Amino acid sequence: MNKLKLGGKEFESRLILGTGKFSSVEIMLEAIKASGAELVTVALRRFNRDRPSDDLLGPLTRLGITLVPNTSGARNAAEAVRAAQLGRELSGSSFVKVEIHPNPHHLMPDPIETYEASRELARDGFIVLPYMPADPVLAKRLEDVGCAAVMPLGSAIGTGQGLSTAEMVKLIIADSGIPVIVDAGLRAPSEAAAAMEMGCSAVLVNSAIAAAGHPAAMAAAFAIAVKAGYAARQAGLMSRGDHAVATSPLTSFLTGS
Amino acid sequence: MTGAFFMNIVVNGNQHELAGAGTLDQLLKELEIVPERVAIMVNDRVIPKLNRKDVALREGDRVEILTFIGGG
Amino acid sequence: MPGVLPSFLDPAPWLTLARTAAPADVRRALNAAQPGETEFAALLSPAAGELLEDMAVRARELTRRHFGQTLTLYIPLYLSDYCSGGCVYCGFAADRRQPRSRLEHDEMIRELDAIKSMGFEEVLLLTGERTPHADLDYLRDAVAEASRRFAAVTVEAFPMAAEEYRSLSGAGAIGVTIYQETYEPVQYEQMHRWGPKRDYDNRLATPARVLEGGMRTVGMGALLGLSDPRFDTLCLFRHAMQLRRRYWQSGVSISFPRVCPQEGGYIPPFPVSDRYLAQIIFAFRICMPDVPLVLSTREAPGFRDGMAGVGVNKMSIASRTTVGGYQAAAESLDGQFHVNDDRDIESFCAMLRAKGLEPVFKNWDKVYR
Repeated sequence: MNKLKLGGKEFESRLILGTGKFSSVEIMLEAIKASGAELVTVALRRFNRDRPSDDLLGPLTRLGITLVPNTSGARNAAEAVRAAQLGRELSGSSFVKVEIHPNPHHLMPDPIETYEASRELARDGFIVLPYMPADPVLAKRLEDVGCAAVMPLGSAIGTGQGLSTAEMVKLIIADSGIPVIVDAGLRAPSEAAAAMEMGCSAVLVNSAIAAAGHPAAMAAAFAIAVKAGYAARQAGLMSRGDHAVATSPLTSFLTGS
Repeated sequence: MTGAFFMNIVVNGNQHELAGAGTLDQLLKELEIVPERVAIMVNDRVIPKLNRKDVALREGDRVEILTFIGGG
Repeated sequence: MPGVLPSFLDPAPWLTLARTAAPADVRRALNAAQPGETEFAALLSPAAGELLEDMAVRARELTRRHFGQTLTLYIPLYLSDYCSGGCVYCGFAADRRQPRSRLEHDEMIRELDAIKSMGFEEVLLLTGERTPHADLDYLRDAVAEASRRFAAVTVEAFPMAAEEYRSLSGAGAIGVTIYQETYEPVQYEQMHRWGPKRDYDNRLATPARVLEGGMRTVGMGALLGLSDPRFDTLCLFRHAMQLRRRYWQSGVSISFPRVCPQEGGYIPPFPVSDRYLAQIIFAFRICMPDVPLVLSTREAPGFRDGMAGVGVNKMSIASRTTVGGYQAAAESLDGQFHVNDDRDIESFCAMLRAKGLEPVFKNWDKVYR
């Protein structure tokens, strides 16, 4: 299996995990180990003196995981840039997931703020992974300003509606010169496999694992699915075989050999 | 030299009386925070770890002390 | 010293498939959801030639899906036949066929008006290699005049710098056509005996400069017959894909000029038959479903009628390839500029309608420019 190349670094695993919504840090760490993920997203919040044991930095660093701080909580580009700078200070990694969703209900990413934040952060040497609506033109814009990958949503965060943006993601993949990573809305491992079969370079999964009955087992299942989907694509999928039939021959005008 | 010297600042949205020299390192020590575990903003400016010793806090400064939590 | 084929164009990994693909490879390629070089190569193979009817059916389906049941019509206007070049395959090489002429300003206006009154809205302005008689300023003036009359003005002339293309775009041109002729560097050197056109690397980089200069579209092609057509079409395919990825706000179109025996007696070493030309066009349509594919009046009426709407979605008609040909009843040319389909617009459009295709002269207005 070829390695995932992102921001000048290489990764074996094409499953990226989000660390939100787990019932405890222990369960989250078990899920990460079971998934084989080498990249995980984390968020920034105010340090809480009453709960110092929620420290993630220590355990994740000990696992050898590359941290991808996200900018969730930011409502505009300026806030996202500050969040990214704080994240880099803390993690020591240059990766950042630009995540700006001003509407707290559907959590849809703001395309304009995301573009502006990504442009500034890329200029500042960050390895920018923007979370974006599944828009093919926006994807090229983000590529142009130096993002390391694009992360189109599969469906709204936490809704588990799967790859509702499949047709748009296919267009993005067809034109993209950088990795395409579907993020948000995947509910089942089969959907992760489908994303990989479509040509995604990786997938990011959070809610589907955190909210599962047994998160670690679900994480392991997603890992298998991502490998299967990727391997299937490399092996060359059989075509669907739907095509029209002409009533009279179209090539009778071509004589000779 | 320090004596009974106090300063009012805002830390993570709450009023805080800072005793002592008024540097960020002092504040972290007072709050019993391991410096490597947090990132800090003062008045909306990100303060790199290396510069913490150079930042002298002033009355009314707003300090944000942040750490990583789980997120998607 | 021949130029160097860059690795992003190198067709070597797919050439064997293009020569030896099995029927199963062809069937897979016919229905592939996201066709790439592998599918394109399979469709160039002899096995695909045995499945030409299936390719035609798929090509027609995709042409209909992306272009509707229409065919776009345009007309070429040869501004000048001065040429400093030395192309072996062309009767207008500097050491052949005198005398030369160019349209002076008033003549050019009359030609443009004549074309406009025929009903055209898209005109392609042509010159040869750069000469003082037909240089950038001359072309820019022609573009400006044409732009006042036509909804779409494109240019096929000599390779220019990006800034020169930008000035033509500013004057109103929306596209430039520039053929690589052949991607095979040794043959390229042999075909181009002297002058700036000898520079293979510069020619190769020209389509990118066209788009860098702000043109909306670049017309590409290889002169089929100069080299192994599988080699050249694979390079052309890769070239077009690369440009689309890099200049994602612009378009490409592909033409399929075939080398014709020219007055000086040049016989192409790899002649392409009608069947194989059709196969090439179908392969492009299947693997690049949304790219305009263009056929000129160099091809015979029977071939053009058969290909209209089946892969091909754009054609020239009622062309005159002589300078001043629309005004005067001029003599027709042989060789590369021979007009094989000399039907008038009405007859051609009647043929299209009989095939269920609506002739389209204008695709957009430039009201907002």
